[in-house]
Amino acid sequence: MFDGSRPWRVSAGQSLRRREWDGEAVLFNDLSGATHLLSPVALWLLERLAAAPDDIPGLASALDAELAAEARDDGVDGADAAADAALDREQLADLLADLHALDLIEPC
Amino acid sequence: MLTVSSLAPAQLRARLSGPGLDVQTGPFANRIHSNIPHLAAGLAVLYADYPLNEAGGFADFHLDLGQPGGIRRWWRPQVRFEQDGKFPFKPLPVAQAQPFCEWMMNWCVSNRAHGYLIVHAAVVEKHGRGIILPAPPGSGKSTLCAALVCRGWRLLSDELALVRHADGLLVPVPRPVSLKNRSIEVIRAFAPEAVFGSVVHGTMKGTVGLMRAPGDSIRRAGEAVVPHAIVFPQWEDGAPAELEPVTRARLFMRVADNAFNYTLLGARGFDTLAGLAQRSAGYTFRYSKLDEAMAVFDALAGEAP
Repeated sequence: MFDGSRPWRVSAGQSLRRREWDGEAVLFNDLSGATHLLSPVALWLLERLAAAPDDIPGLASALDAELAAEARDDGVDGADAAADAALDREQLADLLADLHALDLIEPC
Repeated sequence: MLTVSSLAPAQLRARLSGPGLDVQTGPFANRIHSNIPHLAAGLAVLYADYPLNEAGGFADFHLDLGQPGGIRRWWRPQVRFEQDGKFPFKPLPVAQAQPFCEWMMNWCVSNRAHGYLIVHAAVVEKHGRGIILPAPPGSGKSTLCAALVCRGWRLLSDELALVRHADGLLVPVPRPVSLKNRSIEVIRAFAPEAVFGSVVHGTMKGTVGLMRAPGDSIRRAGEAVVPHAIVFPQWEDGAPAELEPVTRARLFMRVADNAFNYTLLGARGFDTLAGLAQRSAGYTFRYSKLDEAMAVFDALAGEAP
């Protein structure tokens, strides 16, 4: 089981060299030499962790706030949209585990 | 500028068995040595229009395709490829010398020319717009490429898309188009004027027929091209000609999968490929009839500027 209480950061040496088009991104992994196709949520998480290390509760509330802000911009009721669209903590943990397996993030 | 056609058959054989035949293909200077008479005859047909470089000058690639001596030469004649004193590949039956030479020329480029992102793809151009056709064997890439160049498109390559790191342009390396099996007859029926070398049976790719590159494409090999579209072709029996868009991020990943040296190039390859994906529209393309495919590609090239 993924430890949600640990803070995570972008792996040392990752430049997050990437290109985004139409809601999808490709990212060059400095450590493995691989290139990954990323969803907008994965990219958002990486950018968030590049700005500052964080744990799952912190990331989840930031994601809720982000979704609510986007919904407001689109003229949708923020609270409802956030409730509909927010990833639950288990999904967030799965995504962090995937990014860790790809050497993109590491525990602090 | 002298071309290979300026050599009489005996002179060409003497070059091949002596100092080497120095022939320019796109940005690459090749020096070919061989003691195989039918390879000399094949090169005379397929490489007639190529620039002949000064004997003994600089060569990017040295290719030696010879027959081993001893009784094997008579009992089981073979051709082997030597480079820098090494034999990186198993010998093949000598009848396959011509396609072997082509494969070795491709091998030299894909293993050495890292000043380019090299994609396993055909590249054609019309109205200054380059179209890249990456695809695995059996997808109909070479057939489509041959048909297009027989209908006025410029051939940049049948096998190797060279994307220059410095400016992202497509650099031509036009060479004969390698057609396999049924495609040979398909193109002969589609373009009876196309010139072929000898058809070789029983290779690891089946029957291979090399179609001579158009003279105009060879003369314009110094003109790099702006990428316009990347099309993944798939021949499918009975399918109407149809383009389906591919998003740019997925286009990037699919081209990377078809690139020979993407991993080797690291971040530089990423940047070059990102630039290519940014400039190019991406499509998958199903087709069954060449005439329908020609219409779709002409529409893709648009009007002359």
